[in-house]
Amino acid sequence: MDYQQSERTYDFDVIRWFSIMAVVYLVVGTLVGVYIAAELAWPALNLDSPYLSFGRLRPLHTNAVIFAFGGCTLMGTSFYSVQRTCGTALWSSKMAWFTFWGWNLVIVLAVITLPLGLTQAKEYAELEWPVDILIAVVWLSYLFNFVMTISIRKSSHIYVSNWFFLGMLVMITYLHVVNSLAVPVSLFKSYSIFSGVQDAMIQWWWGHNAVGFYLTAGFLGIMYYFVPKQANRPIYSYRLSVVHFWALMFGYVWLGAHHLHYTALPDWTGSLGAGISLAMIIPSWGGAINGMMTLSGAWDKLRTDYVLRFMIASLACYAMSTFEGPVMSLKSVNALSHYTDWTIGHVHSGALGWVLMVAVGALYHMVTRLWNTEMYSTRLVNVHFWLTTIGTCIYIVAMWVSGIMQGLMWRAYDDYGTLAYTFAESVEAMHPYYAMRVVGGACIVIGAIIMLYNVVMTVRKATADGRLGETGTVPADA
Amino acid sequence: MSSLGDYFATDWAAMTPQDWVGTILTVVVFLLMVGLYFYALRPRNRDRLEAQRFIPFDDEPFESGDKR
Repeated sequence: MDYQQSERTYDFDVIRWFSIMAVVYLVVGTLVGVYIAAELAWPALNLDSPYLSFGRLRPLHTNAVIFAFGGCTLMGTSFYSVQRTCGTALWSSKMAWFTFWGWNLVIVLAVITLPLGLTQAKEYAELEWPVDILIAVVWLSYLFNFVMTISIRKSSHIYVSNWFFLGMLVMITYLHVVNSLAVPVSLFKSYSIFSGVQDAMIQWWWGHNAVGFYLTAGFLGIMYYFVPKQANRPIYSYRLSVVHFWALMFGYVWLGAHHLHYTALPDWTGSLGAGISLAMIIPSWGGAINGMMTLSGAWDKLRTDYVLRFMIASLACYAMSTFEGPVMSLKSVNALSHYTDWTIGHVHSGALGWVLMVAVGALYHMVTRLWNTEMYSTRLVNVHFWLTTIGTCIYIVAMWVSGIMQGLMWRAYDDYGTLAYTFAESVEAMHPYYAMRVVGGACIVIGAIIMLYNVVMTVRKATADGRLGETGTVPADA
Repeated sequence: MSSLGDYFATDWAAMTPQDWVGTILTVVVFLLMVGLYFYALRPRNRDRLEAQRFIPFDDEPFESGDKR
């Protein structure tokens, strides 16, 4: 199917907007991340303003990168691939636009309320109850449109990437609604209906499954469509992808309890979470190998295809972080790692190495298809790849060293059973690594800005060449 | 904790209906998952499942040289 045919068959306008906004939010979200990383190294940067303090900007950073960048990427890529694998346009273009504007309204509300300190103080679920209701409505419109598009498909089989997107959509609906159950006491304040250890368990049931279903299953949906497309080779093993999907769906929901070792949560619950965490290495590595082996016999493509480099590097990081996570969930390791920067390093090995890289690869792929042109500069794509790779390495190494040192300093005793170090001494020891993290984060931001420039120039080039009308429709003579 | 037996000891009499529903559902879903693995990995289903690998290439030229 050529470009004009696909324009007539599919609904790409809303996907173009999701793609552009994803890149914009990548720049914004990582910029805030670097700023708060710098605040930890040099606290004077909070400028004595509560609106710029770490406590208020940190949730803004996580919401911007996870829900703004990640959300726009997931919505754009899933709407794109579901159409192409089902051979049909979106069930409702209007509903897709509602999802786009609704999701962006959520992001705007987050940008306003979080620096003002309006928060439920639940990690990755900070937004207050009116915004939570809006999220649920918009998310359901996304889910409904996706399911209905599948229901009108021309193909007999539902391709595996759509299964992963569906798994994410169903589970995030369930997780978000249950975790957000709260009693409002005013327009901007509410209290969770859960209390004590049950509140903690619900919070981490949501928290880890936001990682498992949103940042893993959703982005695996991206991987299963975009890696074969970019490599121009079918996925290595379809059967392995089926096993990968069902193992992930069954296993991930159990893991949240491993965030609550050595707390009031019953001991067996944490052990169960850790045990299944270990078991999850098998499907996770199966999926990573499946993606990487897609290039079997064509590894030379990595020499020239920079977009594919992003995708394959992301799979290596996926394998690495899905090994590290289960190891950290073991009680003996957790006793050292918990509450330290090691956790931050682990999260970012997954967020930067896996989520960011596979998303960026998919976005570059989509931009060339949606605007019917090559990237403005493939050299800049390569620069972006190396900045992201080097930045990720610097970031996670800094946090690993910092975190393990923290853990060791906190548990060190002298001969009299007294703590060997004060907490302030451990903070002082972290300073070089916090500065190092800023350098790593800066590499990521510079890469993101280069990507934004490259994408904008690509769109301008496509428009100037007459490859695409300003409204997104193909000119009659194209 | 003296032994694994102690660790896994369960007071069955204290199980509530909610506990039983959760336990039975979990075991049933686990068995379904095992059945699905059996289905996916059974040699006779190989060709049928692997044929779906090419769906992403249904609407665009496929140039890798592999036979479809």
